[in-house]
Amino acid sequence: MLSTANIYTFRKRSVVALALASTISALGFLWPFFINAHTKFHALNNNLFYWVAVPIALAILIIEISNDRLDAKSIALLGVLTALTAALRPVGAGAVGIEPMWFILILAARVFGPAFGFILGILALFISAFLTGGFGPWLAYQMFAAGWIGLGAGLLPNRIGKNWLRGKSEIAALFLYGALASLIFGILMDLQFWPWAIGSRTQLSYVSGAAVADNFHRFIVYHFASSMAWDVPRAVFTSALIVLTGPAVLFALRRTQRKAAFLTPIEFASAREKVQKEA
Amino acid sequence: MITFANVSLIYPHSTKTVLEDLSFTVTEGEFVLVMGSTGSGKSSLLRLINGLVPHHTGGILAGDIVVSGISTREVKPGGLAHLIGIVGQNPLNGFVADRVEEEIAFGMETLNMAPDVMRKRVEEVLDLLSLADLRDRSIATLSGGEQQRVAIASALVMHPKVLVLDEPTSALDPIAAEEVLSILHRLVHDLGLTVIISEHRLERVIQFVDRIINIEGDGIAVIGSPQEILKYSAIAPPIVQLSRALNMPAISLTVREMRRATQEFRDSSSAAPGESLAKDPSDEVIRISKLRSVYGTKIALNDVSLAINSHEIVAVMGRNGAGKSTLLRSISGIQKPLSGEVKVLAVDPTKLKGRERAASVGYIPQEPSDLLYGQSVEAECMQADKDNGVAAGTTYEILASLVPNISPTVHPRDLSEGQRLGLAISVVLSSNPKILILDEPTRGLDYAAKSSLIALLKTLANDGRSIILATHDVELVAEVAERILFLADGEIVADGPTVDVLLSSPAFAPQVAKIMAPLPWLTVNDVLKSKQ
Repeated sequence: MLSTANIYTFRKRSVVALALASTISALGFLWPFFINAHTKFHALNNNLFYWVAVPIALAILIIEISNDRLDAKSIALLGVLTALTAALRPVGAGAVGIEPMWFILILAARVFGPAFGFILGILALFISAFLTGGFGPWLAYQMFAAGWIGLGAGLLPNRIGKNWLRGKSEIAALFLYGALASLIFGILMDLQFWPWAIGSRTQLSYVSGAAVADNFHRFIVYHFASSMAWDVPRAVFTSALIVLTGPAVLFALRRTQRKAAFLTPIEFASAREKVQKEA
Repeated sequence: MITFANVSLIYPHSTKTVLEDLSFTVTEGEFVLVMGSTGSGKSSLLRLINGLVPHHTGGILAGDIVVSGISTREVKPGGLAHLIGIVGQNPLNGFVADRVEEEIAFGMETLNMAPDVMRKRVEEVLDLLSLADLRDRSIATLSGGEQQRVAIASALVMHPKVLVLDEPTSALDPIAAEEVLSILHRLVHDLGLTVIISEHRLERVIQFVDRIINIEGDGIAVIGSPQEILKYSAIAPPIVQLSRALNMPAISLTVREMRRATQEFRDSSSAAPGESLAKDPSDEVIRISKLRSVYGTKIALNDVSLAINSHEIVAVMGRNGAGKSTLLRSISGIQKPLSGEVKVLAVDPTKLKGRERAASVGYIPQEPSDLLYGQSVEAECMQADKDNGVAAGTTYEILASLVPNISPTVHPRDLSEGQRLGLAISVVLSSNPKILILDEPTRGLDYAAKSSLIALLKTLANDGRSIILATHDVELVAEVAERILFLADGEIVADGPTVDVLLSSPAFAPQVAKIMAPLPWLTVNDVLKSKQ
């Protein structure tokens, strides 16, 4: 049965590429906890990882995704939503975590699904870096983290048991997800920055080769000391925007999805068949 | 070039047949018009040609459509991109680049053409559409007609054999529309290009086209020469209505033919003595003195003084950028004057707030959806009832009398242009304003919607309201307005009764006036009245 193209979804190969790239990136985030002095894997080498491995993983992923046939309608949607999300990021100037972009990423991913949400997150962060001048090794991490946030929002279930997750319960779920995602984004960003941020001589510094629990403790203290002032406002702001704009934005996006006629059946009948059917 | 063989089309989730058993052949170098009322399937027919329907929209297609030997069953729209160029209603929606030259080259970039070929083709098409002077301009700074020319150039530069245009002039003023249509006419004659165009304002195009496909509704469509089709078609431009009204043996399509054919009639007729309509006594409701106003950094209105009474329907005309919208915005109190004074019902409209303002001036912007933010027609009406403190259901009643059979659950943006305008007018009327202001109300309206708008405006004026509308549509003005304000460069250059102003300007005279000059008739009805 023929039909119009679907909204962008991952194929099997893209899922493998995504898993690989995500693992590499996760290693990039988590290395301070499991690298010790005995592996001779010093900060310098880690630096290399930071500069090279994550961007390469990201590049491979993007190539893999764009090898899939993205339909014109998906590209158009992706383009518009990326532009919108990216343009919203500098609006809040980023001060104390007020970045009015996360809500739109989460709402769009909720409607258009995990694959779409993942690419939207990656592209939006990349494009907004042009606007904010935020290029640097951290960008690759930011892109991954945003991609994951989109992916997660797209994976939220459509129904719980027999009840559709729509209306108030949907907004409530997105509210919680928004808060959680904002906090996790903060933790991830701290994690990739922490080993370099404050030198090696403070009580909160990363100690290469120390026990995992020890470093973990230091990190948590560092995180709470330095970043809660950013993460909590970010979570509050994002969740508030989701509650305020959610019903209208979800409605508009779903209407777009309906009008785009994804996966609508196409049938070619011959003129004679049609006449016969009617007769 | 294009063959439709027994084509029928049904969209999924719909029981209505859009097209039923349509067969026709368009040969190379033909100029074909698709006409029909809103929602009759004009756009579907145009999009069938390059396969956007059903490949992009879904649907059941019976029969076969072959363009230059390629069937749209086998090839997706992209595979026909080199054969068919498409130009939409609003060129701005389709532009990708900022500068004219880049926009024209963009399509070729995506087809991966060699740079030297692109260079050459851009130059060719710039000359062909007289865009050479505009090549470095930013597209946003171009006029509507120029933008539409750029859109046509970007389609033509890929050397298509067929050009498909979906209402290309509906957003343009008469002069810009003329510019676009005469270029199409030249392309057909000079290059042998096949052109398929859909259009609401038939008076603009019928003199150019070779054949017409008339979609009569319910999927029935007929094709024939303009004379054949227009003799019986349900919708017809004024010139054709005049032919019919005078019982002429053949339909004339141009003013020249028609003047020749009506020579005798004109000689034997004389203007009826100027009838003075008994009108209710009217009071002055708007007084503007020495108004100066700016739009951006430009002086939009300079030393404008005028007065408007109740019961009056006033048309504000003039080129794009002449200051029409600024005048309307000043009256409705949205824009503060630089100097001078605006008094609406003896109050400064910029001082009015909330309900008070809504009860004195109702303003309907160019894009009626700017007023509509509800998620369904019903929600919109209920909100209007609440905002204006009127009994629940009032707005919906007004709407039902304006636009019958409108479903209350539809999203306002999914309505047709006419329905959407009707909804915006209902919302504004629910506060019962003394003055109604409309900016370009007939964009995208078909003849049926337009005549119900005309009837509505006349009723409203009879009830004692003042109505001010800015428009390019001379046929509308001839039907509805009693007085015209003609603006140029922010100054009033003419202010007087419709007949006097329209007849003194050849560019703005309606078709009937051009045919019947020097007799002072503007509409078919005027002619018929004198005949009796």
